[in-house]
Amino acid sequence: MTATTRAGTPRMPSVGRLFAAQIGYQARLLASGRAITIGIGLPVILLIASHGNHARSSAAGFAGWAAFGLTLTAWNTYGVRLVAAREAGVLKRWRATPLPRWCYFLGRIAATVVVAVVAGAATVAAGVLLYHTHLTVGDVLGALVAFVFGAFAWAATATAVTALIPTVEAAAPTFLLIYFPVILVSGIFGSISEPHWLSAIASYLPAQPLVHAVAAALGHTAGHPLLPARDLVVLAAWAIAGLAVAVATFRWEPHRPTQRRAARAPRPAGPTGPSPQSANSGRESGRAGDDVQADPGSAGPLACRERTPPRGARALPAGPLAVRHRVDHPLCHTRGYPLDSPLVTVDQLG
Amino acid sequence: MSVIVVDGLTKRFGDFAAVDGVSFEVPAGQLVAVLGPNGAGKTTTLEMLEGFLAPTSGTARVLGADPHRGDRRWRARIGLVLQSTSLDAELTIRDTLTVFAGLYPAPRPVGEVLELVDLAEDAETRVGALSGGQRRRVDVAIGIIGRPEVLFLDEPTTGLDPEARRRAWTAVQNLTTTGTTVVLTTHYIDEADHLANRLILLAGGHVVTDTTPEALRSQGGPPTIRYRLPDAAPVGDLPATLSPYVDRNARTLVVRADDPTGPLRDLLRWADRHRLDLSMLEVGPPSLEDAYLAAIGEPPASEGAS
Repeated sequence: MTATTRAGTPRMPSVGRLFAAQIGYQARLLASGRAITIGIGLPVILLIASHGNHARSSAAGFAGWAAFGLTLTAWNTYGVRLVAAREAGVLKRWRATPLPRWCYFLGRIAATVVVAVVAGAATVAAGVLLYHTHLTVGDVLGALVAFVFGAFAWAATATAVTALIPTVEAAAPTFLLIYFPVILVSGIFGSISEPHWLSAIASYLPAQPLVHAVAAALGHTAGHPLLPARDLVVLAAWAIAGLAVAVATFRWEPHRPTQRRAARAPRPAGPTGPSPQSANSGRESGRAGDDVQADPGSAGPLACRERTPPRGARALPAGPLAVRHRVDHPLCHTRGYPLDSPLVTVDQLG
Repeated sequence: MSVIVVDGLTKRFGDFAAVDGVSFEVPAGQLVAVLGPNGAGKTTTLEMLEGFLAPTSGTARVLGADPHRGDRRWRARIGLVLQSTSLDAELTIRDTLTVFAGLYPAPRPVGEVLELVDLAEDAETRVGALSGGQRRRVDVAIGIIGRPEVLFLDEPTTGLDPEARRRAWTAVQNLTTTGTTVVLTTHYIDEADHLANRLILLAGGHVVTDTTPEALRSQGGPPTIRYRLPDAAPVGDLPATLSPYVDRNARTLVVRADDPTGPLRDLLRWADRHRLDLSMLEVGPPSLEDAYLAAIGEPPASEGAS
């Protein structure tokens, strides 16, 4: 009754508002975490450290540092945090709210794009201040477009990769293992002498086209296109492919080891309620149950089980006095007797 | 009208049936505790009602809908607290609740929810800086902020200290006065006794008993005589009717008997003979815990026996 009236009258919040709010929320989370400081701090430190290096002092030269800060944020920071949130049950919790799932999924990616672009822009701003470089509004806008394409490509691909990572511990090593080879062959730290085939591969990975596009925008001269179309196409392809794989493989729930549980042993009927034998069989099934992982609270210290009688314990004689074993877990004793309840054994009977 | 209707609900993981043919109905406004040992199927049952898991067979209806296909409007009428805390750590409690409130059509005011879960003084604290008990109450706050008609609480007080548990209980009790239907899983018999007006006992994926705390207590078996033996007590001299029931290490005698008169008479006579102090002697009714243990110790064949 109240159900229908309550659900019927108030309107659901609009999806557009929810999506915008989710981007804002996720951006705040990302920006308030310490991890983001590396995306802005590290490239700026490297930029200052390489002061005087002629090759790095042009506007195009610090495109590499800007791409470094951007990719650190959109790949490592974002990816590790996403795995951590999934394993902590945060994604599962959000999935149960009235927020449409795509709002959460795309909201997180969009927020990452915003923060990663800010990280890239901060590096460019630091470079401009340090080297007194002159940039036109067109150069800056071109660089921002390249940043957005790059951040989307990296974040979408990172989302796809999270499906392969089962634990938080594995997240950072996995992302870094993929990350460093890609950025090393892509000239983010300056050009390295590499075989032609490697440069050819790098031109199809998302790092080199990003550096190239940002450098083209920042070092733009009249008569050339502001942004190289090929680079944007490569980045867009990574973004779309990453997103498609991510949508198909995305996991909302924490990873759990497979269920391995033996069937419960039947309890032999004792003469007076659960007898020492049945306590024993309970213990056996309890041991088998230790392998159960589907119920996260299963195996572990919270189990309430009957205490195993020592070897040689036998059933009490049936009689007017029924004696039962007590369980040996403190949580089972929130009401009733303290922990030191008796256990009757043959010794004591003798 | 039943808010929750569960009929023959079964969930298999491979060969293993975590939930096996569970049926029950919950009318609006009831507070039901689902009780059982680890691996009994409590969380799996709850996750099917919350829509996380699809049943292998059988049906579940919550507010008239199949939870696994519940749309956004349906989810706005459901509140839940998962078994483990699941919060982003970076923002303050108030900011976090404000974000969640924005998802619902008619949320409770954030200030009111903070009062309900007793976190008003910590509203400006970052979630990451909270104690385990406080985080659990933030979980509860998020669960209730959308004014849910049905609230699922999966072991909401596991790991809390006694005072924090009491506070969480108060929050849940405050809710039921507003007509919210609550389904709670718990390990704690006293929690179920304190909060619930109905107990569903699960063991091995089956409903073992579906009853009230009072009715369960009456199944708790015989009354109990309990006597902590004084150091001077000559245990070897105990009458044969009592000596099997002594734990010498704990120096305690525990006797359960349908009619405690006989053993009590023997005990008193023996104590009188040796002039023993009887201040540690208790004779009491069966406890709910005993009834619970007796109930889950039964084979699943006794299902529906209540």
